[in-house]
Amino acid sequence: MTAVIHPASTPADGDIELPSDQALAPVAGVWGLAWRVAQHRPKEFWLGWFLFVVFFTMPAITGYLLARGYGSLERGDSTETIWWSVAIAVSETIRMVSIHHGALIWTRVWIHMQTLLRANLLSAQMASGGIHAGQPVGSAGSAVTHFRDDTEDVANLVDGIVDISGGLVFTVIAGFVLGAADASAAVVLVFPLLSVALVTRVLDTRIKEFRTADRAATERVTGLLGDIMAAATTVKVNDAAEPMLARLRVLVDRRRHTAVRDRVLDEGVMAFSQGAADVGLGMVLLVSAGAIASGAFDLATLALFTAYLGWLSFLPRMVGRVLARRKQAGVAFARMSALVADVDARNTVRSRSLPIDPRDHGVRPEVVRPERVPLVLLEVDGLRVSYGDRRVLHDVSFSVRRGQFVVITGPVGAGKSTLLRALLGLAWQADVDGSVRWNGVEIDDRSAFLVPPNAAFLSQVPQLISDSVADNVSLGPAHPDALERAFRLAAIADDIAEMPDGADTLIGPRGLRLSGGQRQRLATARALVHEPELVVLDDLSSALDVETEVQLWANLADAGMTVIAVSHRAVAFDRADQVLRLDAGRL
Amino acid sequence: MLARETDAMATQTGATGGRWRALGALLRPDRWRWAGLGALVALASVLTITGPLVVRRIVDTATQGTTGAEIARLASIFLAIAVISQFFAVVVSWLATVLAWRTTNELRVTMTRHVLGLDHEFHRTHTPGELIQRVDGDITSVSEFLGQVVTKAAGAALLVFGMVVVLSVLDWRLGLGMAVYVAMALVVVLRGRHRAVSESADEMGALGRLYGGIEERLTAGEDLRANGAAEHVAWRFVEDSEGALVSAVKRERAFLVMWWFVQGAVAAGWVLALVLGAVLVGAGTISLGTAFLLFQYVLLIARPLEEVVHELETVQKANGAMVRVAELLAIRPMIVDTGMRHPPSGALTIEATGVEFDYGDDRPVLRDVDIRIEAGRSVGIVGRTGSGKTTFSRLVLRLVEPTGGLVSLGGVPISDIPLDELRRRVALVPQEVELFAGSLRDNATLFDDEPTDAAVIDALQRVGLGDLAEGGIDRALGAGGAGLSAGEAQLLALARVWLRDPDVLVLDEATARVDPETERRLESAIVELMRNRTTLIIAHRLTTLHSVDEIVVFDHGRIIEHGNRADLVGDDDSRFARLLTMSLDGDQVDDEEAAPNEASVPERSEVST
Repeated sequence: MTAVIHPASTPADGDIELPSDQALAPVAGVWGLAWRVAQHRPKEFWLGWFLFVVFFTMPAITGYLLARGYGSLERGDSTETIWWSVAIAVSETIRMVSIHHGALIWTRVWIHMQTLLRANLLSAQMASGGIHAGQPVGSAGSAVTHFRDDTEDVANLVDGIVDISGGLVFTVIAGFVLGAADASAAVVLVFPLLSVALVTRVLDTRIKEFRTADRAATERVTGLLGDIMAAATTVKVNDAAEPMLARLRVLVDRRRHTAVRDRVLDEGVMAFSQGAADVGLGMVLLVSAGAIASGAFDLATLALFTAYLGWLSFLPRMVGRVLARRKQAGVAFARMSALVADVDARNTVRSRSLPIDPRDHGVRPEVVRPERVPLVLLEVDGLRVSYGDRRVLHDVSFSVRRGQFVVITGPVGAGKSTLLRALLGLAWQADVDGSVRWNGVEIDDRSAFLVPPNAAFLSQVPQLISDSVADNVSLGPAHPDALERAFRLAAIADDIAEMPDGADTLIGPRGLRLSGGQRQRLATARALVHEPELVVLDDLSSALDVETEVQLWANLADAGMTVIAVSHRAVAFDRADQVLRLDAGRL
Repeated sequence: MLARETDAMATQTGATGGRWRALGALLRPDRWRWAGLGALVALASVLTITGPLVVRRIVDTATQGTTGAEIARLASIFLAIAVISQFFAVVVSWLATVLAWRTTNELRVTMTRHVLGLDHEFHRTHTPGELIQRVDGDITSVSEFLGQVVTKAAGAALLVFGMVVVLSVLDWRLGLGMAVYVAMALVVVLRGRHRAVSESADEMGALGRLYGGIEERLTAGEDLRANGAAEHVAWRFVEDSEGALVSAVKRERAFLVMWWFVQGAVAAGWVLALVLGAVLVGAGTISLGTAFLLFQYVLLIARPLEEVVHELETVQKANGAMVRVAELLAIRPMIVDTGMRHPPSGALTIEATGVEFDYGDDRPVLRDVDIRIEAGRSVGIVGRTGSGKTTFSRLVLRLVEPTGGLVSLGGVPISDIPLDELRRRVALVPQEVELFAGSLRDNATLFDDEPTDAAVIDALQRVGLGDLAEGGIDRALGAGGAGLSAGEAQLLALARVWLRDPDVLVLDEATARVDPETERRLESAIVELMRNRTTLIIAHRLTTLHSVDEIVVFDHGRIIEHGNRADLVGDDDSRFARLLTMSLDGDQVDDEEAAPNEASVPERSEVST
């Protein structure tokens, strides 16, 4: 919408094309996809739309009233002029009231639209298997741009469509009024106005290239910054700040060039369409020179043209822009679809209930977990994993009985973590072959089935989230007793007891308020809390001292858990029912 | 927490005025360029003011009776002015954008340097995502502000000034009226601004939480997927989105207040111009053309006014951003670089006397630590999780400052050593190795161009990454170090140290993720690395400590044992000998561990209240 209200828009939101991947083609059916986003909350959308159309149409009335006012002024009828002035005030008040409510509603609509897209992206990323799971992203830092910028590009398109419908109503009314006042002058205006649409459209291609380059340059800047900030201590103790900053300087300078081209062309298009109003007025004056001299083209007509011209360039500009925004949204959908199931853009607009407005009175939904199937025998048969041409795991087979403790060991790069990931269906980037049977039955979708309460996983470098201790462990509702038990099993109960708010203590971004050992043990508790049939632990010992590790294995054994764990320590081998030694991807 | 107190203080002082001082300092180096830009803006304003005067002339000559040719001549002039103005607009925009980005790029580098200089404690409480937002996102708002808004605002101010002058020449009452009108409009708009700024900052905060949460959850994606957390994440997302929506609506409300004022002022201008025109024309004081000129000028003011409102969001963002920038710059590290003394060259003695440390929560992490490690010795540090080992090593690195006592290197108190010298001479190989998007070479040298390729390859070979180096050291590693296993990353961190050649070396669980076979291969490399350096090796896995000279055992923040490794191994009663037996024989440990586990002192503080 013209002046007001772009909640989350970056100032650079221009209009045009974006993304980092030049090869990315816009998806087909952008209008349909955008429509589904717009109709996520239809009531709010249509009310907002109506109020904005009123807002855009009112200048037609105000302009007409102004012309009548100057007409009466020229005739010297002061009383009439006063009445027209009052009418103008009323007309403007109506315009303001409609935009006031329209803007508040539209702010909501805007966020609802973005939230729908974000929710679909996030849930596809978080899904443990199933038909709606998307391919996990490599870098979270740059993936955030999909949640922020790509969703905004789509909202921008919808926004533009609303602008166009308002601009259309105004233009039709204005066309009639101007035509009635002076037909030939009105016809002349078609030329500058068409040129606005044309120029906006033609510059599209260039703007698209520039925007693409700018986004790519920006991603490189934020990528480096993210690395630097995440590794601040490393940078510091390695005395590497200056080389890092030198690199940053190179990247920001490169981005300056792309940013300037991008913004200036954008501004240039804007300036051209605004200037078109003045050029249009000049042409009208030129064409009507004779009529002005003769008095046929009076002050009222001049006022009418002057008032309308400021608004008339709006529609052609918006048409040019929306065409550009359509492409931009197309690319945004293409980028976002990489995060959802089947790389299908339609999965980014699946409708879902998102009670994000306090007026929705949202209730936390039930957690859906797969049904527990008690484990008797797990069989891994001929598991092969390769990344492209590189085979990392050759034909690995073994079986685990209920209550067994299986230790996997082997040198760095032997494929231990890959084995566990492939077993659990987490090796997304790899080609995985072979089967995993649960009580003799082949598991079709391992990533969907091998989650609590059937299986739980502790990764080599466990990740926590900024939440409370309890929420990090339970990841959803859990019985306090179950939590207590998991804390005890993972040997972290005493640590938690010492924390200021116990299990409700917030652990900070990425759990950084905890020590490395505490994070690892908390993540272990997370793997144990739902009493999974199978516990898979990837190198839990790396952050634990011997005493704590010994205690942990003892706890797990006492609890009768079935465990597959990577470890290098003798204490683990002693306790193991099986030790699997991996070397270069072979058992 | 100390960092948080500083944060709070910064909010009070920084918000009041520091931000614009900071901005002014930024502009100074390029001040002549900015001045030149200002001249161009002024020229453009003159053209804009002239256009309506031509129309006034048309109206007046038409009223007095004239030919079509004369009108056409005037109309052509008007048209020419309109075209030239357009050209000017683009040139001004181009120059302003170039300048804005030059200026703010400096700020980006300054901010990054500043943030890197802040304490460990600061980085522990701020996510990388949040810091990216502050250093790049926030400053981009400032770039947009400088590039787009400032010239527009300056143009609008000059426009208003020019109009008042023109109208005063025509009739002083008109000039005065215009001046009063604009002044009132401005006062009203500015009054609405303050609220909008704070609401805008709130919104940015809410969005930061939303995106920060998303980023964090994507990072933890594998753990969350494998543990069935989809619904939990979805609900947290709904809660964060609600925060974003509520704050956006609030910000919009505040913003609408301003919008009302601006639009109200414009509409009032139209009505006033019309009524005033009617009265003055009726009284014969002004011509019809001058009455129309009033109308045109009100239209002219409306355009930049609306534009500035349109850009007010940019202004708000930039304002909020500058507040946060000033806040961040106001945070001072506890570790200050005032040292002037230089320890002797070569390996350094490490000495701690009466060292105490806590994280400001009265739960001591280190108590009364006294130790002297001779130059060139290697020392294994053992103790259970939370016994204070890592904190001790941080004190030696001066990542944290002791709350009591003194740490010195080579006989010089550590705080008397210039920080850059300290960083050059004391190296850390941490447990969790961070990798950078860049080449293998960049990751080994940390973007330092100085080491030769041969030196880099040599370092990689020494730590057992020869195979990796064969693939070419300019080969790019993926984001987050994709393509390296956790063990390989730890080896890479050793290679970094090789290249730096420090005098004091701290290995904090540096080989924890390396399997025993690889570790054995590495051992000779580590032995060579330790030669002629003072080395501290923190290890859970006691087998790592074959080749150290001395052993220090920490327990509950105290040193309970310190001696030559050989002596301690020989002494069956020593704590270290017991630990060694335990790690070699699991069953025996079980009996010991059956005793209730004492609450351990946390290694780093938990959350403070």
